Amino acid sequence: MIKNYFKIAWRNLLKNKGFTAINIIGLSLGIGCFIMISMYVIDELSYDRYNDKAERIYRINSDIIFGGTELHMAVSADPMGETLKNEYPEVEQYVRLYASQGAKLIKKGNEFIREEAVVHADSTLFDVFTLPAIIGNTKTALNAPNTVVITETVAKRYFGSPQLAMGEMLETDDNTKTLYKVMAVIEDMPKNSHFHFDFFFPMANVDYNFGNYLSHNFQTYVLLKEGTDYKTFNKNFKYVINKYILPQAAQYLKIDNMDQFEASGNKLDYSLIPITDIHLHSSRDVELEANGNIQYVYIFSAAALFILLIACINFMNLTTARSSGRAKEVGIRKVLGTEKKSLIWQFLTESTLIAVLALLVSLVFVWLSLGWFNDISGKEIVMTSLLSPKFLIFLIALPFIVGILAGIYPAFFLSSFKPISVLKGKLTTGPKKNTLRNFLVVFQFATSIILIVGTIVIYQQIDHIQSANLGFNKDQVLVVSNSGLPRETRTSLKNEIEQLAEVKSASFAGFLPVASSSRADTTFSTESVMTESNGFNMQYWSVDYDYIKTIGMEMKEGRNFSREFGSDSTGLILNETAAKLTGFENPIGEKLYTSDQNYKPIIHTIIGVVKNFNYASLRQNVGALSFKLGENSWETAYRFNSADVSGLLATIESKYKAAAPGMPFKYEFLDEAFDNMYKQERRVGTVAFAFALLAIIIACLGLFGLATYIAEQRTKEIGIRKVLGATVISIVRMLSTDFVKLVMLAFIIAAPISWWFMNQWLQDFAFRIELNWWIFAVTGIAALVIALITLSFQAIRAAIANPVDSLKTE
Amino acid sequence: MAYTLLTLREASRTIKSGSKTVSLLDDINLTVKEGEFISLMGPSGSGKSTLLNCIGMLDDFTGGSYTFLGEPVHIMKERNRSKLYKEYIGFVFQAYHLIDELTVYENIETPLLYKSIKSPERAALVADMLDRFNIVGKKDLFPIQLSGGQQQLVGIARALIGKPKLILADEPTGNLNSKQSIEIMELFSQLNTEGVTIIQATHSESNAAYGSRIINLLDGKIVPE
Repeated sequence: MIKNYFKIAWRNLLKNKGFTAINIIGLSLGIGCFIMISMYVIDELSYDRYNDKAERIYRINSDIIFGGTELHMAVSADPMGETLKNEYPEVEQYVRLYASQGAKLIKKGNEFIREEAVVHADSTLFDVFTLPAIIGNTKTALNAPNTVVITETVAKRYFGSPQLAMGEMLETDDNTKTLYKVMAVIEDMPKNSHFHFDFFFPMANVDYNFGNYLSHNFQTYVLLKEGTDYKTFNKNFKYVINKYILPQAAQYLKIDNMDQFEASGNKLDYSLIPITDIHLHSSRDVELEANGNIQYVYIFSAAALFILLIACINFMNLTTARSSGRAKEVGIRKVLGTEKKSLIWQFLTESTLIAVLALLVSLVFVWLSLGWFNDISGKEIVMTSLLSPKFLIFLIALPFIVGILAGIYPAFFLSSFKPISVLKGKLTTGPKKNTLRNFLVVFQFATSIILIVGTIVIYQQIDHIQSANLGFNKDQVLVVSNSGLPRETRTSLKNEIEQLAEVKSASFAGFLPVASSSRADTTFSTESVMTESNGFNMQYWSVDYDYIKTIGMEMKEGRNFSREFGSDSTGLILNETAAKLTGFENPIGEKLYTSDQNYKPIIHTIIGVVKNFNYASLRQNVGALSFKLGENSWETAYRFNSADVSGLLATIESKYKAAAPGMPFKYEFLDEAFDNMYKQERRVGTVAFAFALLAIIIACLGLFGLATYIAEQRTKEIGIRKVLGATVISIVRMLSTDFVKLVMLAFIIAAPISWWFMNQWLQDFAFRIELNWWIFAVTGIAALVIALITLSFQAIRAAIANPVDSLKTE
Repeated sequence: MAYTLLTLREASRTIKSGSKTVSLLDDINLTVKEGEFISLMGPSGSGKSTLLNCIGMLDDFTGGSYTFLGEPVHIMKERNRSKLYKEYIGFVFQAYHLIDELTVYENIETPLLYKSIKSPERAALVADMLDRFNIVGKKDLFPIQLSGGQQQLVGIARALIGKPKLILADEPTGNLNSKQSIEIMELFSQLNTEGVTIIQATHSESNAAYGSRIINLLDGKIVPE
């Protein structure tokens, strides 16, 4: 019986090649898209699960509100891990990562290579995380100072192989020159980790004032014992704060107890976050890497599901529309005694067969577009990930689910024909007004329209961000890294390059208004003794005389630092937010109090106010910030004015190479660094665009099939009308009107829904566009035009056919 | 003296069927005067329907000349031709060819829509026609709810609504019983006396007898009398 079903199904597919092609292409686009997104989502959800103890590893998050500044950080104080382990038996182990030093220069032969993926870690690293060793004993590897653990790739790059690397020395630029001995080589870190390092140096080599509960600089992970509930554990932090942190804070902040601190609107709070939640749920300050976003996982999943649904709907629509072609067969089968049940099975077999074929085609689609998808999504998904057992089961189940989902309605519809009326030729058109069919078309187009509106809004918002008034001029600024260069070289190099005609000004600019740059903040008070009411926290950047000019910022009042004033070393320039935060009516000349690392008091005099500029993501409003005079010479910024940028770059590089032989020349353009902050949005925009395009293509494929069918169905009517004098145009109009109405209805439904969704999305941005009516108008008209073009293709063909052929009496 | 409605001179129609050329109509010479009622007779496949379609300008003659009301149809552009037949010719089919989705009223009204006649005038014309054929009570029914004879009545009403000079009827009673056939043929006779020229194709001798002239076709040629 099954064999018979397959035979008939197969012949039917071959008989209607056009329909079969549309069905399979539409369905395979949908399935392909679904598979691709599934791979993406599964990858996103798999982050950090490579750790054997993933379920028990947590990171300590810090939430601080002080003096109007909110800090939500992925780092905590250096003694925190140790304290927790000593106080609470539930804490089995802890490990700290210290990446604040940034990149290191590492010597290979005579060249120094700038390595970014470096970190200092406690020796307990390998007790907590699962980072298997290829050679060497990771348990003890980082116990002593001047040791290092490297990954296989690095071992090969520097020494040729892991075996050759063992026991070798690596020279770095730490304190000008420090040697580390390779103690172990581990496998490369998995891609789906929330951090990726190639070099693990010991904590003992970190130059830091340890034991400070008030500075937050360490990513600290704790391994809890089996069965510990981390939410309950979070309650312990209150005790830790009272016992350890408050006494230290009292040394320089007049603070009696926590209640008083909180009563004045301040907050100090720590909590654990499961490591498996970090990638999708955490976007704090000082993350080790930019994480993903669960919101986008949801959006993509929904989009994939909808596209699959649109493709299934095509299938349903085309199959029911084609019903008249099968009606006679159904009639004859029924007369021959076939039961309804077995007819349903027959049609389900057919739809499943189509779904299986579509799956095969879709795998080809996925294979062809995976590289492109990886490009735009920033992933490294490989085809072989389909071969994991779970995914295989999913893949095998998919065509059956799709086949049944798409085939169930047509199966019931077709099998319910009354044999007598079918054979008499009465029932040829199926139900006249197919409400379900109309509903499905509306659904398809509404979904497509929502996706298109989403795409337009995302693109507009990105565009808006890039052209927003940033408060500084990001164009034509080159930033060159100075790490590894002696101080004198940095200065002489800067002076030399500044002489170039194209270079307008130069500044040591360790702090830059892009997210990838360094940050420093500290606590200030408006009176010499800090209380919780006069204290506040703000960014505290060391800049030189030419900084404001080079980065293109503007003064609002007061003056910039000037070489003519000897006293400027105590001067302070605030941004508008900070000026407001101080509460001074006229801030110029007022004093602000803070202290250095060793709690030595510093008194600043406000000399100017700079106009607000965006130094964080445009998702946030501009926070409080101050400039003091100093030389942060990690990087030099050059403002240039040149059409020949690559020529200028080559000139600067050659000067750099001459001044610092063997040192890597690392540079970036400020505008590119700025654009990188919105990489994720741009990726989402591209992916959304691809989806919207796919959705509309699939919907149009369906519409095309439907139009073909309807035109065929109405051949006789069209013939009569033509005999009665109808023109081609009036026939085309007649055939299109119904669909145009459906598309318009879809638009009316989709417009408010997309408005609501995109409005929600925009709420994330402090700087955002207004949703314009024309976005909706353009989308609506575009959908209509696309639908019309699709329809007119068939409608015109039907309208120009000779009526004599269609009216022949049989 | 009635003037000439249409003239065919050596008209022929051939089609290509694969590599062969098949002649459907050959050397047709025919003059139809206004007010005539012509019956085309002949066995199946003799070319009756083809001749009707060609006269009705739905198909083209491939040779010879065709003059309608003094205008040379065979060299006319498609658009003018369609104007011509819209104005002067009405069709009645064996299978009625009513539009299933439209009511009786709307079916009759359809040709007027394509002639851009204003709505009030259309209503008046359709009402007249319904009245005349005694089907006012059925105006809101759909074709499927009517008997064959009634459907053909609607078909004729639809053909007449445009006030054509010529009605072409292809086996108009082919699907009807004898009583209904007689009614329809009586109607044709009556229309003919009112001045409408009619050309019908038929198998039935009795129906043919209603006509004023009988033309016999065989293998695409007119059989000489």
